[in-house]
Amino acid sequence: MNLHLLTLLIFLPLAAVLLIAFIPAAKKNTYRYIALFTGFLQLILSGGMYYLFHPKGAGVTDARLYQFVDHIPWIRLDMGSLGQLEIDYFVGVDGLSMPFLFLTSLIMLIAVGASWNIQKSTKGYFILLMILNMAVMGVFAALDFFLFYIFYELMLLPLYFLIGIWGGARREYAAMKFFLYTLFGSVFMLLIIVGLYFSVTNPETGAHTFNMLHMMNPANYTPGSVFSAAANHELLGISARLLGFIVLFVAFAIKVPIVPLHTWLPDAHVEAPTPISIILAGILLKVGGYGILRICFSIFPDAAQQSAWWLGLIGVVSIVYGALVALAQRDLKRMIAYSSVSHMGFVLLGIASFTTEGTAGAVFQMISHGFLSAALFFLVGMLYDRVHDRHIYHFRGLASIMPRFTVFVAITFFASLGLPGFSAFIGEVFVIIGAFNAESVNGILPRWMAIAGSLGILLSAAYFLWTLQRMFFGQPRLKGGEEWSKMLVDASPRETFIMVPMLGLALTLGIYPALAFDKINASVLALVELVGNN
Amino acid sequence: MPTTALTYPLLAALSAVLLPFAGFLLSAALGKRAGNGAVATSAILLSLLAACYAFAQIWNQPPIHIQWHWFTIGEQAFHVGVLLDNMAVMMLVLVSLIALPVHIYSAAYMKGDPGIHRYWTYLSLFCFAMLGLVVADNLLLMYICWELVGFASYLLIGFWFTKDAAVQANKKAFIVNRIGDIGFLIGMALTYSHLGTLDTKALIEAPETLPAPWLTVAGLAFFLGAMAKSAQFPLHVWLPDAMEGPTSVSSLIHAATMVAAGVFLLARIFPVFDATVLLVIATIGTVTAFAAAYFALTQYDIKNILAFSTISQLGFMMVGIGIGMYPVALFHLATHAFFKCLLFLCAGAIIHEMQHAKETYGLDMDPQDIRNMGGLRKHMPLTFTAMLIASLALAGFPFTGGYLSKDALIVHTFEWAALQSGAAKLIPYVLVAVSMLTSFYILRLLAKVFFGSLSIRSVKKDIRIHEAPMRMLGPMLFLAGCSLFPLFSVNPLNDSYVWLMQGLTSPVSTLPPLRLLHLAIPVLTTGVTCIVAGVAWQWYVNGKYPLKGGGLFYRLSEHQGYLDALYGAAVVRPVVRLSQLLLWVDHYVVDGMVNGLSALGRSFAAVAAWLDQRLVDGFVRLIGKIAWGLGNVFRRLQNGRLQHYFATLFFIILVILLYHIVVLL
Repeated sequence: MNLHLLTLLIFLPLAAVLLIAFIPAAKKNTYRYIALFTGFLQLILSGGMYYLFHPKGAGVTDARLYQFVDHIPWIRLDMGSLGQLEIDYFVGVDGLSMPFLFLTSLIMLIAVGASWNIQKSTKGYFILLMILNMAVMGVFAALDFFLFYIFYELMLLPLYFLIGIWGGARREYAAMKFFLYTLFGSVFMLLIIVGLYFSVTNPETGAHTFNMLHMMNPANYTPGSVFSAAANHELLGISARLLGFIVLFVAFAIKVPIVPLHTWLPDAHVEAPTPISIILAGILLKVGGYGILRICFSIFPDAAQQSAWWLGLIGVVSIVYGALVALAQRDLKRMIAYSSVSHMGFVLLGIASFTTEGTAGAVFQMISHGFLSAALFFLVGMLYDRVHDRHIYHFRGLASIMPRFTVFVAITFFASLGLPGFSAFIGEVFVIIGAFNAESVNGILPRWMAIAGSLGILLSAAYFLWTLQRMFFGQPRLKGGEEWSKMLVDASPRETFIMVPMLGLALTLGIYPALAFDKINASVLALVELVGNN
Repeated sequence: MPTTALTYPLLAALSAVLLPFAGFLLSAALGKRAGNGAVATSAILLSLLAACYAFAQIWNQPPIHIQWHWFTIGEQAFHVGVLLDNMAVMMLVLVSLIALPVHIYSAAYMKGDPGIHRYWTYLSLFCFAMLGLVVADNLLLMYICWELVGFASYLLIGFWFTKDAAVQANKKAFIVNRIGDIGFLIGMALTYSHLGTLDTKALIEAPETLPAPWLTVAGLAFFLGAMAKSAQFPLHVWLPDAMEGPTSVSSLIHAATMVAAGVFLLARIFPVFDATVLLVIATIGTVTAFAAAYFALTQYDIKNILAFSTISQLGFMMVGIGIGMYPVALFHLATHAFFKCLLFLCAGAIIHEMQHAKETYGLDMDPQDIRNMGGLRKHMPLTFTAMLIASLALAGFPFTGGYLSKDALIVHTFEWAALQSGAAKLIPYVLVAVSMLTSFYILRLLAKVFFGSLSIRSVKKDIRIHEAPMRMLGPMLFLAGCSLFPLFSVNPLNDSYVWLMQGLTSPVSTLPPLRLLHLAIPVLTTGVTCIVAGVAWQWYVNGKYPLKGGGLFYRLSEHQGYLDALYGAAVVRPVVRLSQLLLWVDHYVVDGMVNGLSALGRSFAAVAAWLDQRLVDGFVRLIGKIAWGLGNVFRRLQNGRLQHYFATLFFIILVILLYHIVVLL
């Protein structure tokens, strides 16, 4: 029996949007409760799906192994000599997407919690938040490239306004930069989508199709078409498939982000309001990593293998560069933004290894970074809410003023720098082991990359502990003096209530990583095999 | 094959590990109510009892190996498991046996500290991590405990977090240890990629599975891990700074936890090391032993002297590993644990009293500086006795545990050197020299602290120093007992009777014996110790100090080889500079390019707008203007005067006629 749980999960926020839209602004306090309630429903729903998800559901290229599938013809248009246009509403879940759906519902709920004190036009705010929620869910579930693209672009719109209206001092600049940067990637993505569309036919109907799974099967490519592996077309002097891979990769890599396409991130993070920073770091960066796995690797496995060395290099550069720049930051939020660049570099290094350990480690790292970075940005937000400052040197000895807050910060910092017992440790260790293993398994990555990547583990200890020492330890000394120490009240029950589940989850996954690995293993194996066979 | 049956010894060992963890959780949950330390202390007491039971059941019995499935990546299963062999149960007892007196001592030493509940929480975590490390059956689990040991030490070193020096020190300790962790991680990754498992047993049973160059790399990588944890030169710099923590913590760090972890790791995976790596280990160990003893000579901070003494002794243990005699290294680890712990507890008692005097009499002095002490023998006789025993053990005087282990180590090094060629032959001689230095610095310490007269009385005559309270003395006297020979051997003078080494010896760790040395070395070292004692007595007690401070070698020793300054200049500052440079690059080059692109786009747009307005729209407007102008011209013709109309008509007809004439012609 198909309960359409996935569709329900995706479009639940739309119901909230309608509800919020029709409730008059006089009752604006209800908006946040509606959002909260939606978030809870989604969390229960995705949690239930996670529990029901069968670990053997490898998915990846095989439509039969996807779960919670909804497949409905959506647009059918006779285009004369171009044949029939086939766009489907096709959503489904495999081991690569299941954890992210759960992560999304969790982070969205936390973001609603963090939005509790938003005062400025709450109606618009919560409507945009709910649209964003729907779009992200859709991105992680879509299996039709056209549908994927719609959800993917739909994410940008609410984010642009959420940063541009509710953001900090330079919000317009940051929103614009974020929007244009991401659009830059996705516009070219559209070209590849069209190219793929004309290269691939649905074996059942003979019509061209946007179905991603058909695109993953070399047999479906029309002989001689632009992206057909056999035809080996060349565009701009390089193989068409490689070019297609690169363009899609760049589009997603901007989201990850990789060095040097990362500079939208610190600006967007610094200017965005806390909940949006949480969503950005917690989920949107993962859309990039997910897209690379789901689309770049699965549709162009041959090109992926060809480019693996470069992907690994980009990963290593991101790790080390991000960590070093984080070390030099004086703005706490910027430091955390760059630590994200460094931590997401591990994801790239892991997936570039094409080993099960590396890929599983990378997916795990994304999940772990999801709630740890959300926790980090939430903590910065707590400080900023109180004194509207987050300059590292303006604070000192906070441990004596805000002990509970300091405990949260210390735990989150240590969890982020890969202390065993927390999830980031498992992710990073297996990325390093996988990258190291690549040389003996498939010879894709040289071992120095793993060693260079492990420098990131050292540097992360340096910048996190240095910050801890500068801001939290020592004798209290604040830039704002007495006035500040009155404003710096310790973590409130609401804040504690938000922090505890995030850290609890990081701890649970760190101690019992099987909770995640069991669900993602089959898909990771299938993906690694897919790329390995090319 | 790992067993699956839960037997009593196994359960005992597990509870020995997990009880401190329960203590940690309980103390953390109780918060301030755990301030008296009852939870932590009873946890470690029960842990000790369980460890003793496990020891009695497992020692010299077939090892117990059990594992449970933990998680699977791809198709590769990872396990949590314990491996209980002689080495593991020996360490299990040692750690809890050292930790218990430290806990009891701490209750008195830390009394009244506002954050004491945190202290107990951290201490329990520390013990749990170390106990977990010694029983872990695979590298991943060991690595986890290894890092947790580092984390707990971070918390304890920085226990007084409002003190700047303390939080600098714990940061340094953690980061230096992270360097070692990377080594461990690389070793682990290498093991995994060649063996397909992280099982310690699989590794030590078939190390040759790793192909030639990688075996050496793996060995060096693991050693790098041990170098950081066990404070080997040149990564020892964190240990002297770690003295910023409470002294009771130092005693634990320096005895059986933390620094012991590195030595233990090397002993655990000993078969991995090939000849090259072993030689490196022996060399680094020798350099460490010598350098640290040399630095210890001129220190004035009582804890600093002891810290360098620890580093030096760890160097001895490393030599023990390097010469292939890891049972001797572990034996020295065990004897050292007792007397070093005791030395720190005594130092803590002294500092406690000095601090008390400082506060009572309002003195402006450093309570840890040995120049402010003197003559304490009369004020604190029991502390003096305990410290004397510990110092003699350190110096390797007969009838102490230290004598047995240190002389065994030196004798075996001579035996090993007989098989070596080149500079390696020098190693045993260096060790003999180091043991002379050791006797000297520890007797200097004793002389300055306990003999002569109390220096601070020169400021205030009526200063009174008391003996340490019973709750501190008890643990100290207990450890003093453990520092003597009976715990280890029935024969006080011959190390071949040591049961501990007999239990650990394995076929891989034997050297052709040189019988004569077993007699000559102890006689030699004891004789030298006595002579050095005489010299130190003459210099420091009788005040006939012949040398002037301030020479190059003196300064080099006093400033600990200027290593901190060197690291600051050669590592820390360049990294910070590099990061600032990259920040600049990020802002002005990478982001500059993005902004430049946007500026470029905007200027294109501006040009296009200009063109649009001036050229495209200009053309449109021009046409408009022309139409308007023409209209203006023709408008004038419509003036309503008949004459004008006729004149125009006539003019037009004229033009047409002229045209026709021209065409016809």
